[in-house]
Order: sequence, then structure tokens, then C-alpha cells
Amino acid sequence: MLKILFMALKDLRLLLRDKANLFWVIGFPLVIALFFGLIFSGSGGTGRISIAVVNEDQSEYAAEFVEELKVMEVLKVRETVRDSAMSLVEKGSLSAAVFIKPGFGERHGLFSDEALLEIGIDPTQRLTSGYLQGLLTRANFTLLYKKYGDMDKWRQEFGRMMEDTSMWLGAPANVQALGKEMLTKVKDFTEAAYKAEGSDTLETTADSTDSVKSSPAFDLFAVKITPITRNRIEPRTSFEVTFPSSIVWALIGITGVFATSLIKERKAGTLLRLRLAPVSRAQILAGKGLGTFIGSVFMAGLLMVIGHFAFGVRIVNLPVLIIAVCAMSLCFVGLMMFISNLGRSEEAVSGAAWGIMLMFAMIGGGMIPLMFMPGWLQKIGHFSPVKWGVLAIEGGIWRGFTLTEVLFPTAILLFIGLVFFFLGVFLMARIDRS
Amino acid sequence: MISVENLHKSFDRIKAVAGISFEIPKGEVFGILGPNGAGKTTTINMIVGILHPDEGTVRINGTADPTKPAIRRQIGNAPQSLALYEDLTAYENLCFFGRLYGLNKRQLKERVDYCLDFAQLTERRRDKVATFSGGMKRRLNMAVALIHDPPVLLFDEPTVGIDPQSRNMIFDCIEDLKKDGRTVVYTTHYMEEAQRLCDRVAIIDKGQILALGTVDELTEKYGGQAVLIADLDAIPENMDELPGYMEGDRLRVETTRPFEDLATLNRAGLKIRQLRVDKPDLEVVFLNLTGRRLRD
Repeated sequence: MLKILFMALKDLRLLLRDKANLFWVIGFPLVIALFFGLIFSGSGGTGRISIAVVNEDQSEYAAEFVEELKVMEVLKVRETVRDSAMSLVEKGSLSAAVFIKPGFGERHGLFSDEALLEIGIDPTQRLTSGYLQGLLTRANFTLLYKKYGDMDKWRQEFGRMMEDTSMWLGAPANVQALGKEMLTKVKDFTEAAYKAEGSDTLETTADSTDSVKSSPAFDLFAVKITPITRNRIEPRTSFEVTFPSSIVWALIGITGVFATSLIKERKAGTLLRLRLAPVSRAQILAGKGLGTFIGSVFMAGLLMVIGHFAFGVRIVNLPVLIIAVCAMSLCFVGLMMFISNLGRSEEAVSGAAWGIMLMFAMIGGGMIPLMFMPGWLQKIGHFSPVKWGVLAIEGGIWRGFTLTEVLFPTAILLFIGLVFFFLGVFLMARIDRS
Repeated sequence: MISVENLHKSFDRIKAVAGISFEIPKGEVFGILGPNGAGKTTTINMIVGILHPDEGTVRINGTADPTKPAIRRQIGNAPQSLALYEDLTAYENLCFFGRLYGLNKRQLKERVDYCLDFAQLTERRRDKVATFSGGMKRRLNMAVALIHDPPVLLFDEPTVGIDPQSRNMIFDCIEDLKKDGRTVVYTTHYMEEAQRLCDRVAIIDKGQILALGTVDELTEKYGGQAVLIADLDAIPENMDELPGYMEGDRLRVETTRPFEDLATLNRAGLKIRQLRVDKPDLEVVFLNLTGRRLRD
């Protein structure tokens, strides 16, 4: 076993020292992932968050709040009822649902023990959730400024709040007194501010709106987050589609490199020297196979680390991803064995490697996603290990495959790998005999 | 040590080796001399077990199967092609092959140091093979064959394409190995190398051994007579009393007794401008055996 490992490590060392090969193994796949990832991500465009808004309050203020949301460029608002909203988010048709609870208008969404706004969203969409909370806060305070920029409306509202005993329900008498005193002081301060401006009206400007965004009043504006798990499984970003493909390309590169390495060794005479050493032919082949396997797993791991940390590619099920990468690597070990014995010269083997691999990549969705291909071509794609490899890897990344679900594609990968491995061993024995 | 008996090997319709037999005792440097395509490499590959003979047997230390790991450990082979990893250093190449032979850490260090010293590459140990000259690569190629300290060594044309200085270094290396008591099989198509290095030589052509013996035995048996060559100031008027024949102003005398013939020339009063005696060599032996020169 140690001898097999020594041979594998030697091949990996040779791979790392060959910059051209290294490019095909890691550089090119990374370029593929980033290039197509950026193209399909629509970066530079006007991405909008589609939300459902359910107005359960029916107050004038709540209606105005909905209008405020509708004019926001970053939001695409669809008004509907609770069940429909929940269903749309579950199906993945909309990113989130915003529920305006009864009492929202009366309190202007503020000063309530119970959150008067509720966001229904998939728990994995934490970034969208946070962003949406910010947008709701902004909309509410923009509306407040619009409504109460006029001093008379301010005075009216303050008076109403002072009289509203429900606000202080449950609070000790001294806290109630303190609260009322605070509101009085705020009112006095605001009156003074208006007088200093020399006007009874404050203009709502872009600046004033922006200042609201950073207002400490955010804490007063409670929003409840309700998890709605999405039933529709889909990649969250385009990188979740392109990184599995890039792993396939890395494995294609490694397979090509190792397939030609066997012919290079045969040509250079080092294979003869290996066969003169006290190692069997099976051990030599196993060394090549182990090198291909370790290289494939390492490169797949490296790409996943880059994808995960730099481009937010999820790893929904790590064990499934590991199984998928290992199965695909083993499959490509078999392919390497087969291809390496298809020719007598480096050029012949290299040509065969790229020809076969490109064909598998084309029909297996390694270049263009299968969904864009005609039905008959999708059926042919079943014969490509690339299709099953991408499917298994996606199972660990975003499809959320269980261990049972990943068994089918991995079994196919292992079967294809075994068939090609034995074909390769047969061809090699034939070449040696001649 | 090595016993080869009636080896036959064909590739399709081409008969590469046709009934070769010889025995090599321990500690002998045995040369296989022949032109390109004579069957030297095929014979070597059958000895080391890379090729299976169609007929015949190879025994090394009495064992008929050279592919057995125990036998492989006794054989070191430097193939004609430079069987080295060009992107690895000299040190890494030696370590890699040493590990395949199961050397432990201490043995590996000792043997790597020995081999680097043998190939005179100690100072270049950390350099990639790709940066080496042809001669350095040839020396390293031989050194790798020595990494596991084998008693039997096979060098297949180790001086092909290298400069005279490196060739001399390689000759010195072979002589050192001979002094160590190792058995060496050395193939070449340079008769000078066979003459200088080999205890016995098998001359082969078209897959068959034409002659086998020490250099002296071969030249005596197949080389013909020595030739005394005298460049004369004047062509003698009467050749009847003189041995040999004239080629312009040069007198050539084929003889087994050159000193006696020289005395005859002196007595005839010939003025000799230049004189030399050519002993027959393996080139002549090959020419006499095949009608062709070694490098034809």
C-alpha cells in the first residue's frame, strides 16, 4: 500500500510542478465558475425582491404604508391574502411575505409589546430577511415624516399618544409618569425646533429620509420573523450552478493529465523502470488511480472552499457532498485508465481525452445546463457521468439530497467507473503483450 | 549468476531474437556488441522479465522467473531511454525509486548519498533533472539502477549521445562496479567500449550470437592477422624478396610475426618513413563475421 501511495504522491508532485497542467486542473475550472456565475447572476442589473403584502389592519396608515412599499424600486409588491402569500413563498414564487397586523396604523408600527409587522421568509434567506427589515423600517419612517412633517399633525398625534392609556397598560405608575414626562419633553423640544426653523412645516427631503435609516428609533420598530420553508428547491445563486460544473472541469483536467502521464511514462521509459521494481502491474495502476483520486478530491475540495467562502455557495449536506465528490473521482479514475490506453502517443491520448471528455461534458450538462437542452438530448445525457456527477454534487450543495437520494447517482458513477477501469486494464495488457 | 538458454522472441513477423544462449558468472562484465536492431535490448528485456520469451529460459541465481520480487531486488537496470522524471530533482528521483525497493529511511539516505557520489551529482542533488546535461542524465540513469544495491546490473547502451568526458566518467563507474565484484551486462554498438570494459563479449547480429569469448579470443579467432604498414621513401624495384604488397608508396604486410617481417624489411635496405602495426579489433571481427561494419 505504501508503494502505491509513493507512486501517487510522485504523480501529484509532478502535477503541481507543471504550470500548464495546473492551469487546466484548477485555473480553467475556476474561470468557468466565475465567468458563467457572473454572467448568469445578472450583476449590474436591477435585482428586485418580490414580496407579498398582506394588509390585515385595513387602516388608512397601513394602506399608505403599502403604497410606500410599492414605490420602492428594490421591491416588487403583490398584495394578497395570508394563505396565498404563504403558499407563494413556500413555492418559491416570491422571496417573502409581509403581514401588516391589526393595530399597525393606530400605533404607526411603534411602541408595541407585540410586533405589528411580520415577515414570512425561508430561514436560509437570512440576508434577504435582514435587508427587508431595513426596507420596512425605512418605509415606515419615511411615511411618518411625510405625515407628521406638519406641526399641527404632530401636536395632534402627541396629544393622542398622551391620552392613549393603553400604551402604558401594565407599567408601574412611576414608569407611566416618567413616560408621559418624556413625551412632554419631546413635544416641547420639537416645538422649539420648529420655531427655530421659522416654519410650522418640516420638509421631507432625501437627506431627512436617509437620516431615518440610521435612526436609533429602529429598536422601537419591532418586526416578527416567521419561518416559511420553501418547498421548491433551487440554487440560491448562479454560482451554485457553476461551481459543480467547475468541479467537473477540474476532474476532466486531472483525468487528462493522468491519462497522458501513463503514456509519458511509457515513452520516457520510467514505466519500464517501475515495472522492473518489485511492484506489480496492479500496484502501478493503483498508484495512478490513487493519484487521480487524491488530485480530484483535493481540487474539488479547493473549488468548494473558494465557492463557499468567496461566492456564498451553500453546502446543504456535507456528507452527501463528500460521497458525491468521492464517487465522481472514482468514476474519473476509471475513465483515466481507459483513455490512457487508447493511443500509443501522448498526442493520441491527449486528443482522445479531450474528445471523450468534451462529449461527456456536452451531453451531460457540463457546458450548458441540461434544462436548456432538447428532450432527446437530455435522454442521451443519462449516459454521461458528467450528468450524474453534477447531480450528485448539487445534491450536497443545494438540492438537499439525503444519503439515500444520493445513492442512485453515485451508484451509476461507480458503475461507469468500473466498466471503464476494466476496459483500461484490458487495453493495457494488450499493449504490453504487443 | 545469469544463464540464458535458447531465447527466441518475435514481434509479428520480425524475429528479434533467434536462439541466443550464454552464461555469465558472478563478477564478470559481459558485453553484448552489435549494430542497432541486432536484438540487444530485446535480450536485456527478456533477462529482466519485461518481455516473455517465445521460447527459451532465463535463470538468475538459478531462478527461472525474473519477475519474482526477490529476483527483481537483485537486478538493477539502466534502460537505453533516460528513465527519469525530469520535473523531479536528482535526489527526489533516487528517493522515489529507493522507496519502491522498500529501503528504510537509514538505508535510503546511505544509498542516495552513494548514488549521487557515484554519478558525481552530489552538488546538483536539489536541481531538477530537466536542467541537467545529457551526460549528467545518463549518469543519474545508471545511478538509479544502483539505488537498491543490486549484485546484477544491466546497462543498455549507457553512452549513447553523450560527450567524451561523460563517457570516460561512465567507463570509470563501470570499472568501479567491476572492482566491487558486481555482475554487469553491458550492451553497446561501440567496439572500443566493449574492448575496454568487458571480460567477455557476445557479438550479435539479426538476433543471433555470431561469436562469444574474450576480446583476445575473438580477435585471434575471427580478426585475421595483424597488419604491418610501412610508408616508404621509395618504391622497391624488386618485390619478390619482400613480404606483403604495395598500395602506392605504402607497404602492407599481413602477418602473425610482425617483428620477423620488420627485420626482413631492414635487411632489404628499405628506407621506412613511418611504421605501424595494426592489431585486429572487434570492428574487424564483426566485419569478418558479417561483411558489414558495426555502424553501417
